[in-house]
Amino acid sequence: MKKLILKSALYFFLILISLELLVRVFHLGKDTPTRILDENNVEKWLPNQQGFSVTGNRRQNFSEFHINNSGYNSYREFTPTMDKVEVALVGDSFIEGFHQNYYNSIGKKIEKSIPGIEVYEYGYAGYDFADQLHLVNAYQEQFNAIDHVILGIKFSNDLTRGTYKVVQGRLALESPMNRLLKKSKLLVYCKSIGILDPPQMLLYRLKSLLKPPTPTNEISDKEKQEALQKKEEQYLTNFKSLVNTYGFDKTRYTLLLDSKITSDYFIAYLDREGFNHIDFADYFAKSKMPTTLIYDRHWNDHGRELIAKSISDYLKKTPIIE
Amino acid sequence: MLFNSLDFFIFLPIVFIVYWTLFKKNIKLQNIFILIASYFFYAMWDWRFLFLILASTIVDFIIGPLIHNSDSSKIRKRWLWVSVIFNIGLLGFFKYYNFFVDSWIDMMNTIGYKADNSWTLQIILPVGISFYTFQTMSYSLDIYYKRLTPNKDFICFATFVSFFPQLVAGPIERASNLLSQITTKKTFNYIQCKEGIKLILWGLFKKVVIADSIAPIVDDIFANYETYSASTLVLGVSLFSFQVYGDFSGYSDIAIGTSKLFGIELMSNFKFPNFSRNVAEYWQRWHVSLSTWFRHYVYIPLGGSRVSKLKSVRNIVIIFLVSGFWHGANWTFVIWGAIHALLYIPVFLMGRNRIYMNNVVAENRWFPSIKEIFQILLTFSLVTFSRVFFRSESITDAFGFLKQLYSNFKFETYAHPLGYRMIDYFILLALFVLYEYLIRKDERSPFKFKSKIVRFALYTLVILGMLLFFDDNIDRSFIYFQF
Repeated sequence: MKKLILKSALYFFLILISLELLVRVFHLGKDTPTRILDENNVEKWLPNQQGFSVTGNRRQNFSEFHINNSGYNSYREFTPTMDKVEVALVGDSFIEGFHQNYYNSIGKKIEKSIPGIEVYEYGYAGYDFADQLHLVNAYQEQFNAIDHVILGIKFSNDLTRGTYKVVQGRLALESPMNRLLKKSKLLVYCKSIGILDPPQMLLYRLKSLLKPPTPTNEISDKEKQEALQKKEEQYLTNFKSLVNTYGFDKTRYTLLLDSKITSDYFIAYLDREGFNHIDFADYFAKSKMPTTLIYDRHWNDHGRELIAKSISDYLKKTPIIE
Repeated sequence: MLFNSLDFFIFLPIVFIVYWTLFKKNIKLQNIFILIASYFFYAMWDWRFLFLILASTIVDFIIGPLIHNSDSSKIRKRWLWVSVIFNIGLLGFFKYYNFFVDSWIDMMNTIGYKADNSWTLQIILPVGISFYTFQTMSYSLDIYYKRLTPNKDFICFATFVSFFPQLVAGPIERASNLLSQITTKKTFNYIQCKEGIKLILWGLFKKVVIADSIAPIVDDIFANYETYSASTLVLGVSLFSFQVYGDFSGYSDIAIGTSKLFGIELMSNFKFPNFSRNVAEYWQRWHVSLSTWFRHYVYIPLGGSRVSKLKSVRNIVIIFLVSGFWHGANWTFVIWGAIHALLYIPVFLMGRNRIYMNNVVAENRWFPSIKEIFQILLTFSLVTFSRVFFRSESITDAFGFLKQLYSNFKFETYAHPLGYRMIDYFILLALFVLYEYLIRKDERSPFKFKSKIVRFALYTLVILGMLLFFDDNIDRSFIYFQF
């Protein structure tokens, strides 16, 4: 039996090495750029990195990214001046756009639609409204030179906190251990396609076995409604708190949102208080083609076209373009 | 616990190491341990149904000696009937009760009587019941036919009934093969274990890469057949042929490979049926353990082919209908069985049902002849056509599928429901068929190449295939578990 175990271990090791080579040769795993926390306490990518983002198995979505001098995925450098027309898109992974070639981004599509303007994409996976306003505030000088700022907001995700703090969980991805693990493209690939989920689930299962069972109570529809209302109120409070802390120039700042997944309560507040917003729900609803990637919830090329169109249509009506 | 789950990949090495380290010197302890492991394996699905296995085990363990010790053929037959009625009763209740009630109500409604379906019950089908009841019955039947003497060791017998590698979906073993191995002291055999690991690897490939990756396409086409053209429907049912083959033969390979790790040789269940040259050969290569069971315990007792042609034809019809019905409580399976009977009878009447028994396609040649290619394609097409009934949810769906096939007779390209490139699957299947053709002479040695480098490259490619076609979001259970 010793021979069997030793030989199996040897084969296992050699096969792992061969697979690592094959994954690298066929570029099946994604390249993950390095994150940093800059001198202004803003979390972003380490400037000047390049690589390929891969989604799904068999390279279902393969795109090139380019982290510019400012630490964001964009084909252009961000050099706002008072004499050009610039628009900033601030948001999470949807704006960051690792699922598209960096030279075919939402910003590029807007630039094609409105010649003469420059679009700066400050997108970073996981950015919520606190991250966004903190960024705008930290780089106030730069943002003051930008003519218009569009902030992507997803009501259910982006307003869970009312003050900004560095998200240590995200930065922990840059721990020496994680960086070492990321060196193995095979491991990165396996993680991305979900092969490593069952071991993780098993660990959770074992952990939950050790914990005493927590009683689960049935919640009535009324209680559910009350909880939802409470949550919406909390999110609005967080929104107000962040706006109070960092300020919000209603003449230059616009929110980008999908009214289908945004609370009416929140939209009513925005309308009442004069917060401008672009609603892309209608653009998506009218589309006969899918707007998201099939194996990922991010926007596909068509979805990004529609987002760019909704922003362009809006901008064309603003004084900066008119 | 699924063979393709992490749970199994933790369970198997533990059982293997404990078996060969702690209990290697004592056959009794080895069997007790395997029995406990098998019950644990089964209890991971639903521990309540362990009592059914136990009941079936106890009944046949008691009846075996009663049949054997009696000199009166009447009494022997009576005890055999007790065993058969008990096992078929279990199967009938859990698998067919609702079907019979529904069919009865439908029939009454058709002839004008109004009947409600208050008699149907919420019954869960215990996993593997069709397999282990047949296996225990084979024990009593073999004793009845004096091919076997009863086993006096309950642990051995219980291990035979519940041996975990083949408990839930076969191969359905005859007591004369499996029980005799369980009662024999086993010593560790390096070569056997190595072969076992290779079979497990190949079985996993067939399950993960062939069956599971195709499943979403087949599910989509069969669920939305009304919207698709003939070309897509043909694609769907052809892919289902590969899916069900990859799924079940993959399961069987893992079962046989796992058994080898414990020093037990199970019978082959699949012998490259896709290269069959007629339907008779197909049934000698597809789900061999079930065909063998029906041949031994139904076909031959009915007279087999040693009676008049007419009676032989009747026997063929019976075993195919019963075999169809064994697969599931649905008329679709009965029609599937009937189609196979219709395909088999002409081959039988022409006396060509045994001509390919002992050889494979292109025996001693590299390439098949044009005639063989034509035969293989024809057999594959006929068998695939029958699978419209095997896969459809109901008779209405099956006929709807066929109607759509001729009423919307045009070619259309098909897009994968999850967005994957279809060309990947066509290349994959072409390579798979080609590789199976290369290894077609020995179903138990999928990596039988002299060169170590070639073998190593194949292991790597097989695992790479699993990584490339693994999809976290699809249902990974085995098709035959529902039977």
